[in-house]
Amino acid sequence: MLRLMIFGVIASLWLPVPTAWGEPAVRVVATTTVVADLVRQVGGDRIAVESLMAEGVDPHSYRATPRDANRLARAELVVANGLHLEGKLATLLSRLSSRRPVVFLGESLPEERLLPIGNGLFDPHIWFDAALWSQCPTAVAAALGKLDPAGAANYRQRAAVYTTRLAHLDTQVRDRLAAIPARRRVLITAHDAFRYFGRAYDVEVIGVQGTSTESEAGLADMNRLVELVVSRQIPAVFVETSVSDRNLMALQEGAAARGQQVRLGGRLYSDALGAPGSDGDTLERALLANVTTIVRALADPEMSAEVADE
Amino acid sequence: MMPLPGVLGALLPYNTLVVACGVAAVGCAAGVVGTLGVLRRRALVADAAAHATLVGVALALLVTGQRSLAVLLAGGLGSAILALGLLVLIRAVTRTRDDAATAIVLSVSFGLGIVLISGMVARGVPGSGGLERFLLGHAAALTAADAMLLGTVSVLVILAVAIGLKEATMVAFDPAFAAAAGWPAAMIDLVLVALVAVMVVVGLPAAGAVLVTALVVIPPVVARQWTDRLVPMLVLAGGVGLASGVIGVAVSSASPRLPTGPVVVLVAAGCFAVSLVVAPRRGLLARWRAGHRRGRTDYLLMTEDHR
Repeated sequence: MLRLMIFGVIASLWLPVPTAWGEPAVRVVATTTVVADLVRQVGGDRIAVESLMAEGVDPHSYRATPRDANRLARAELVVANGLHLEGKLATLLSRLSSRRPVVFLGESLPEERLLPIGNGLFDPHIWFDAALWSQCPTAVAAALGKLDPAGAANYRQRAAVYTTRLAHLDTQVRDRLAAIPARRRVLITAHDAFRYFGRAYDVEVIGVQGTSTESEAGLADMNRLVELVVSRQIPAVFVETSVSDRNLMALQEGAAARGQQVRLGGRLYSDALGAPGSDGDTLERALLANVTTIVRALADPEMSAEVADE
Repeated sequence: MMPLPGVLGALLPYNTLVVACGVAAVGCAAGVVGTLGVLRRRALVADAAAHATLVGVALALLVTGQRSLAVLLAGGLGSAILALGLLVLIRAVTRTRDDAATAIVLSVSFGLGIVLISGMVARGVPGSGGLERFLLGHAAALTAADAMLLGTVSVLVILAVAIGLKEATMVAFDPAFAAAAGWPAAMIDLVLVALVAVMVVVGLPAAGAVLVTALVVIPPVVARQWTDRLVPMLVLAGGVGLASGVIGVAVSSASPRLPTGPVVVLVAAGCFAVSLVVAPRRGLLARWRAGHRRGRTDYLLMTEDHR
């Protein structure tokens, strides 16, 4: 009996989110690590959150496994980024939404703040504009409050605190990026995950590929990019954690043949956050880590040499 | 960095040149090897090998954790050869028909490849993002080192065909006679199939697993329209492959958002369509004219009926 009790105590310590009853008030499944972070910020210790996609996964090409379907079926609340970020999960999610609450963060934002990408669709990478992202916590707090009325006030308050923190983050990012001379404030990555970031913080963002990782860069796109890098003397380009770096290697070579050395500015967090304990394990930390990487590579080209050598 | 050959370097963007060299070399060698393969009625075998490469590419990344092209292609070659071995085994042991056995190996290995890749992507295996690009190729991202690798293998493959030409001809045209005359026909056949597998693998970065068969099969079929003799056919197929590569790269570098590999395949298909119409003797025009001369205006219709 004693053993059982000890086991019980240890087990309850292991439960990620004990409420008064030792049970999470709401079990939430988020689609990506970015979304999971937001839900965690709002829900705090009252709820349990898991992310379908692990760190470093590309959501555009993610296919649902039967295990995912299971996890989604067990969830009391599902939070997704929406705007077709979860391309291959979309049908599963929309079918699920008839049976349990599913929050699509992107769809809760005012359309005029979104970047259209044609065919009535919008760019789904909404999280690296801290001001825009700060409009999302309310929707999550409302959904959580409906399922757990006892905690509703708590969720609302946490959402408000987080919104303030994001507003502060927004200023911080802006201040830091000011260190880069305007001519060189160009972010070249393998993937257009940074268009909202670029719009919010006045950085020209150019992807080697289209918005989705599925469209392949043609040779003309490659040549155009080499031309741009050479003519504006851009010292560094950026590889992301979840997209392959082959295109960038080809770009580097092309520019080098014309006498412009292009360094790898370092990896940026894009579609996924870092593993727990890394410098990008929350959205706030990931955004700041990105800004540090970008400033170091573009503001002072000499500094990025060591990054490239790592 | 590789120094550029003077005049070309001044005229063309560096990346265009690198990609053109790599793709043209692959196109040429694929045409040459494909000729023997097509004559030996092994076109679908190439397709099976191509689809089987995905498994090896995925496993190579999983085991070594490296993304270098050479490592991934070595993995692809391994699984392609394994699939071909399996094909031979199925045919021999179960006495399944050739086409059925090929279809089985093709679809099963492709399915396995897709399962592996999406599983790795889902579990976030480092570097697995973009692995599915091997489906359609990523010619525009070839680096000079990649192009060198593809070029070297292509040259070696063409050399191998040149050295073994007599043997290959024999087995390609009359395997029964070759065996009766005491040639190691099975061995030669195996080498031929292995060469096809190598070409399919080398063509992966240019055209991807789904389209690479086109590089191996279309140029020989084009060449076949123009000649009945082997050596001219080999040369012509190599030329068509090379030209498709160069033209395809040129077209895709001329306008944005045109993926290079598929454009190369379309150019080759264009050559095929043109040959179908204008080739001497076998072309539609020539046959139509021949029909006229014999006073049989319905010649074309008749041949259609007889098919």
